[in-house]
Amino acid sequence: MSFAPSTTSVKLVLLGEAAVGKSSLVLRFVSNDFQENKEPTIGAAFLTQKCTVGDRTIKYEIWDTAGQERFASLAPMYYRNAQAALVVYDITKPASFIKARHWVKELHEQASKDITIALVGNKYDLVADDNDSDDSLRKVSMEEGKALAEEEGLLFFETSAKSSHNVNEVFVAIGSKIPEAKPVTEELGSRPGNVGRIDLSGPALRSNLSDCAC
Amino acid sequence: MPAFRRTERRKSMAERRPSASYIPPVIPPLSGLEKPNSHSLNMDQCDILILGTGLVESILAAALAWQGVNVLHIDRNKHYGDSCSTLTIDQLKKWSMEVNAGRMAHFSDAQIYIPGGKHNNTFTSKDYGVDLCPRVMFAQLDFLALLVKSRVYKYLEFQSLSSFHLFENDHFRSKLSNTTKEEIFTDQSILLQTKRALMKFLKFVLQDNADESKQELLRNNSNTPIEAFLKDNFRLESPQTDELIYSIGLCNAKGTKTPEALARIKRFLVSFDVYGNFPVMMLKYGGPGEISQGFCRSAAVADSTYKLDTRLVDFDPQEKIAKFNDGSSVKINEKIVVSPTQTPKFLAKNYAELEEKLQLFTVTRLTTIVRNDCKEWIAENETSAIVVFPPNSLPTNNQYSVQVLIQNGGSGVCPVGELIWYSHTSEPNSAKAKEDLESAYTKMESSLIRESEADLEGVLDESDFTVSHQGTPILVNSFKLGESLQNFLPKKTLDIVCKIGYVQTTYINPDLSNVLLDKKQTGNISSLTVKDSSDILFLNMPSSEVSYDGIIGEVKLLYQRITGSDEDFFDVDFEDDDEDYSQAVASASAAIDSELAIEDSDYDPSHHEPFGANEMEL
Repeated sequence: MSFAPSTTSVKLVLLGEAAVGKSSLVLRFVSNDFQENKEPTIGAAFLTQKCTVGDRTIKYEIWDTAGQERFASLAPMYYRNAQAALVVYDITKPASFIKARHWVKELHEQASKDITIALVGNKYDLVADDNDSDDSLRKVSMEEGKALAEEEGLLFFETSAKSSHNVNEVFVAIGSKIPEAKPVTEELGSRPGNVGRIDLSGPALRSNLSDCAC
Repeated sequence: MPAFRRTERRKSMAERRPSASYIPPVIPPLSGLEKPNSHSLNMDQCDILILGTGLVESILAAALAWQGVNVLHIDRNKHYGDSCSTLTIDQLKKWSMEVNAGRMAHFSDAQIYIPGGKHNNTFTSKDYGVDLCPRVMFAQLDFLALLVKSRVYKYLEFQSLSSFHLFENDHFRSKLSNTTKEEIFTDQSILLQTKRALMKFLKFVLQDNADESKQELLRNNSNTPIEAFLKDNFRLESPQTDELIYSIGLCNAKGTKTPEALARIKRFLVSFDVYGNFPVMMLKYGGPGEISQGFCRSAAVADSTYKLDTRLVDFDPQEKIAKFNDGSSVKINEKIVVSPTQTPKFLAKNYAELEEKLQLFTVTRLTTIVRNDCKEWIAENETSAIVVFPPNSLPTNNQYSVQVLIQNGGSGVCPVGELIWYSHTSEPNSAKAKEDLESAYTKMESSLIRESEADLEGVLDESDFTVSHQGTPILVNSFKLGESLQNFLPKKTLDIVCKIGYVQTTYINPDLSNVLLDKKQTGNISSLTVKDSSDILFLNMPSSEVSYDGIIGEVKLLYQRITGSDEDFFDVDFEDDDEDYSQAVASASAAIDSELAIEDSDYDPSHHEPFGANEMEL
């Protein structure tokens, strides 16, 4: 196979309460300086971004919730074949941390068993300067976050989409935890994912559609 | 006491109509947070409210949302897809109960059979995705073009289907339909004369419709049954005609009118070699249910609001305020689109009035999940097949064809080594329809058992004469004695995981004459106006058609009724500057060069950037 072995594509899903900064995190990641991509594209089914981890390239296919998480209306399609998930909460909102627990549970039920999950406490910029003061905006301590992550076997980061603190680190860490993709030719039958997959190279082939003979 | 109750209730009416922007002042403590569904809709208004997340509704939602229409899309079920959901076995059980309790309009008579107990029949419900309304996608069809145009294809995985089997004289054949023109000529079993006639006919079908002699022939035969047309004009008779009409054409019944039958045959022929050596594609993980989810996601990306497990309980046509069972109220600026299975009680009468004007058609379905991989019927590297029982081919003397769609574990709808058989017929008498479907099931079952037994030939020896519990000797390897003797033996049956049958009704004609785009779209429920409430639009139940034909016609009709024109239907300028799309365009032009675009996992990826190679891209 002339398949470039160093690129692995990874479906990554976002989860978390509304307004914790899920989209901002991703936007920061895909529009960051060390990446060449620009603004997200309108109508893009999902955002894509490459990330170099060691000697291989991870291509993230990032699925945003598109607001469908608000009333727990995420479709099975959303979780299917997701190899990685970001469960995001806002470190200034305790309720969002509780909700994060819910999403972790949801992932264990809905997603594949070997999914790599990162727990991400966002909005670090709001507390970066006043970590020791009493009137800190921080409502979820780093220890609480760490404890949950350890308990559930998750990666853990506190990030700021605003200042880009730790944002790339999250994706690099996930990337290094994702197992290398098996060569596609191997075990065709036992891997239903690849049986007879068609690449529909463009209906532009025959654009003048007429499905009627009369 | 009733009076007392009433005053009590009147007081609480205000509570049941909270201001739409109600947000709890304090985020409640732990309770409630674990249940994300406890939130009520906190929106003041929307342009369009859609009830039901079935295929038609979901495409409509996305089409509207991408034109800037503010859509609120709800479903009374906890899952997407409504009448064309893809369900797990547990969801199927629950669904059957709902149907039998009369809570699922247009569905009746659901029978679900799960043999054995927990110990004899172990399965994980979640491993199954059973379509309530399975369909196949012809490669050359407006529907596929829409999936591309809307970018929803990006959420989906396509697999090819090239095996079309026809059951006749107690045998399965798959000659014509999965062969190329060249192979028809080399096939020894077809007479030269027949070959010539067939080629002449195929050429005629593919001929430009503008051709005058073709037009004239079509005009003169607009009401001729296809059987007579083939006989008179091309000297073609059964069994070749059966393959053309029921296998290639997938016609429902005898006497299909010539223009319709020709359109169906042409559909098959022009779909061949569009993406490869197959006419039809299947979706992985489920058909219409999966596509519905894709369009709902697309609509959500375009800012639609989604809430499942929610019902419309009241609508004030003057104030245009809709009230929901979660306690919220939303002003609906424009219209409400209602799936028949989601009709709120207060609209039941309006719906019934419309129903009186329409002719009802029946679709009866029998879906069976069996533990057998049925390799014999499915082409190598494929995961699905079609089996057709034409009229009069079954012992029940079926008047309508029974169409069976087979999917194995490779399609992600069941575990590897198992199969889902979706069978249906548009026989109007549901009792008869059930007999036909059961009979077709028995035929497939015995054929499958026969074939898997044949596999054992030469493996068994004398020790295979075994003794049953009753002490009677049983000849295990009796197949060597010939087929006929097998009938005297205790019947082996297939290992069934789950079997479900149900009857569905629809106002869409099986010939799709009342929904197809180029025909007059009248006499179906989406074209009718509700008396005294023009803001309410109903839509149709799924048709009996096994392909996606007719879906877009209906969506466009509704779209036009809402926006006044369907000119801007999915006329969206997606900014596809992302490399996958440029790659797709590049590979499309490469495919034009080679005139062959099949690319399975063995496809040489040199045309692709690394990512595209194992991705499903257009």
